[in-house]
Amino acid sequence: MSLSMPARLWLAWLAGLVTAGALGGAGAIVLIYSGLYDTTASTPHVPPVAWAAHTTMRYSTRRRAAQVTAPDHFTAAQVQTGLQEYDEHCVACHGGPATSRAPFAAAMTPTPPYLLDAARKWSPAELYWIVDHGVKMTAMPAWGETEPQDHIWDIVAFLEAMPKMAPADYLRLKAAEHAEPSGNGAPGAGDAAGR
Amino acid sequence: MKRTSFLVLGLSALALGLAGCARPGDQISAALGDPHQGAEIVTRQACGSCHEIPGHQNADGLVGPPLGHLAERSTIAGVLPNTAPDLVLWLRSPQKVVPGNGMPDMGLTERQAEDVAAYLYTLE
Repeated sequence: MSLSMPARLWLAWLAGLVTAGALGGAGAIVLIYSGLYDTTASTPHVPPVAWAAHTTMRYSTRRRAAQVTAPDHFTAAQVQTGLQEYDEHCVACHGGPATSRAPFAAAMTPTPPYLLDAARKWSPAELYWIVDHGVKMTAMPAWGETEPQDHIWDIVAFLEAMPKMAPADYLRLKAAEHAEPSGNGAPGAGDAAGR
Repeated sequence: MKRTSFLVLGLSALALGLAGCARPGDQISAALGDPHQGAEIVTRQACGSCHEIPGHQNADGLVGPPLGHLAERSTIAGVLPNTAPDLVLWLRSPQKVVPGNGMPDMGLTERQAEDVAAYLYTLE
């Protein structure tokens, strides 16, 4: 190939490549230091940025979650504890069945999604990875920094169960959870909730 | 502000009229609210995590019904006739219309619900 192409053509090609690279780099520097790029949360991401960020996150999660081994099944007690954890840490940003998010969630960019469909979109290992390690530039915390590992799995157990839960059942379990601390809860329920 | 939005609405209605092949919901949409504003509210309210919304980024949820061709549907949530005021009512208080259904009340204002309805009626 190189034999058939004259040296001058190669040089021109190389010069073009270097110029394009330099222009791209200079453009990036100008974009950063000029303050032209809009980093406010009150404006939506431009579609290519939203696509790039979300797609990068999906593949990054898929790759890293490969090292996580998820349990074969989750117990009812895990789902119950997971609901309690979800109610305490997650519902404000992510909502639930028939349950809206806190008003500030709609003011975030990217806005945190409802998770009724999360188990269809992510494997249990991927959900564990996301909850455990969080997501950069989305305000999703790395819950593994503050919560023990088994709590993270409990949340995954609940995320797996939530899509099959009727809204009324979710609200009933949630109400039972709130009634609990005041003393004599339903017999048996205490084992699942107490830690 | 209001004058400008009327002007924009008027112009877009004119543009749609000139296009000659308006989609089913376009006329209702233009009179109802601002579809662009509505699209942004739909993003902010994360509607796409439960609904499939054609042409809307990352709106691929399968929890609630898909929202394509909404203007051509006969009922909303199976209980309300599909009119603009009823769609606005549903968007503002789904839990009042069908208590215990999966869709939460999101606290939309009348204006926001009208913009969202205007956007949803443009979906194909």
